[in-house]
Amino acid sequence: MDLDANRALVAAALARIPGGDRAALQTVYRLTSAKLFGVVLRILGERGAAEDVLQEVYVTVWRKAADFDAGRASPMTWLIAIARNRAIDRLRAQRQTSRLEPIEAAGELADDAPGAESALAGAQEHARLHRCLGGLAERERAALRGAFFDGNTYEELAERMKVPLGTMKSWIRRAMIKLKACLEL
Amino acid sequence: MSDLTEQGALPDDELLAAEYALGVLAEAERASAARRVARERAFAELVARWEERLAPWAAEIAEVPPRAQVWESILAQLPSQAAPRPSLWQNLAFWRPLALASGALAAACIGALVYLGGLSREAVLVAELNGNGKHALVATVDPRRSTVLAVPANLEVTGNRVPELWLIVPGKDPRSLGLIDAQKPVALAVPARLLAEATNEAALAISLEPPGGSPTGQPTGPVIAVGPLTKL
Repeated sequence: MDLDANRALVAAALARIPGGDRAALQTVYRLTSAKLFGVVLRILGERGAAEDVLQEVYVTVWRKAADFDAGRASPMTWLIAIARNRAIDRLRAQRQTSRLEPIEAAGELADDAPGAESALAGAQEHARLHRCLGGLAERERAALRGAFFDGNTYEELAERMKVPLGTMKSWIRRAMIKLKACLEL
Repeated sequence: MSDLTEQGALPDDELLAAEYALGVLAEAERASAARRVARERAFAELVARWEERLAPWAAEIAEVPPRAQVWESILAQLPSQAAPRPSLWQNLAFWRPLALASGALAAACIGALVYLGGLSREAVLVAELNGNGKHALVATVDPRRSTVLAVPANLEVTGNRVPELWLIVPGKDPRSLGLIDAQKPVALAVPARLLAEATNEAALAISLEPPGGSPTGQPTGPVIAVGPLTKL
């Protein structure tokens, strides 16, 4: 099943949830839980906490499905944002500081190449983002990666990359400006 | 000073929205931004745009299937008995827009009613397709006559695109029901075998496709409206 087909299925199932349709939530779960669990597990680094958060994510989807607007957002964008926000909230609440290995900026772009996922829906959007990320300085891209994938704060990123907090803020802000201009969204 | 000049390119609210969406804020600032998302529509929109920009990055994260117990725990946390959904015909929320809103939707509903006049009610399903905060279309599905009537309300088609109607059955790829018209009702003849799958477990969706319809047999353009099928 390709990405766009999947997207339409997920959007249609989300539209059924506000009516109290548990089978529709199960459809959304079946199609998206492995991806969202991957996202949450990457941020939290621990299966037990990640499973708790994944439950919160789908209970939130059940309550908020009426807010999802298929004409405005892709369902995966909406779901990934809920999953990342819940995982980061949990991370902040537990003040976890164990994932602060130093980040080596050099050479990390190679891991970025779109690979096995290119057949999935969103491949086009991913290719575009990847191209724009390629236009950033290595250190800027490395800092954004630490925030997006590991859920790091400015302070944690500054520590991991061994630069002053003000420098880290300026890298990330500059990177966001460049990214927005490149994506033209 | 070049930093200041460059940072001036993002207004304060947009910068905060980007920082929130990326996830770099510490606990107190993050909680404060989350409160603004909940209360301020304009700020929530800024955050949503940044989430849209960043979300494709998640394609690089490997899928990890959760244990089966997770789904059971989710089910246990849902309200103990979901209120049964009233049929669309009895659902006040569905008809309220007739009193309030666009003449276009009213016309669509009346069109559906006129059409329904000659139908056996028990077999018929209807779907109200919404997208972008608007009622896009009302569709009535009559499996016995192998037809789908698609009556547009606020159906916006941009660029050199045509709207295509899809039947979405859980667990299956979308199936095209045909091209529809943003300006006037269209009655689509659909194979009976396909329409047999149009149950109240299924839904309809509209995507924007190149002239002539999807070249692949699957939706290729954006899905602009979706609505579940409901028995009358």
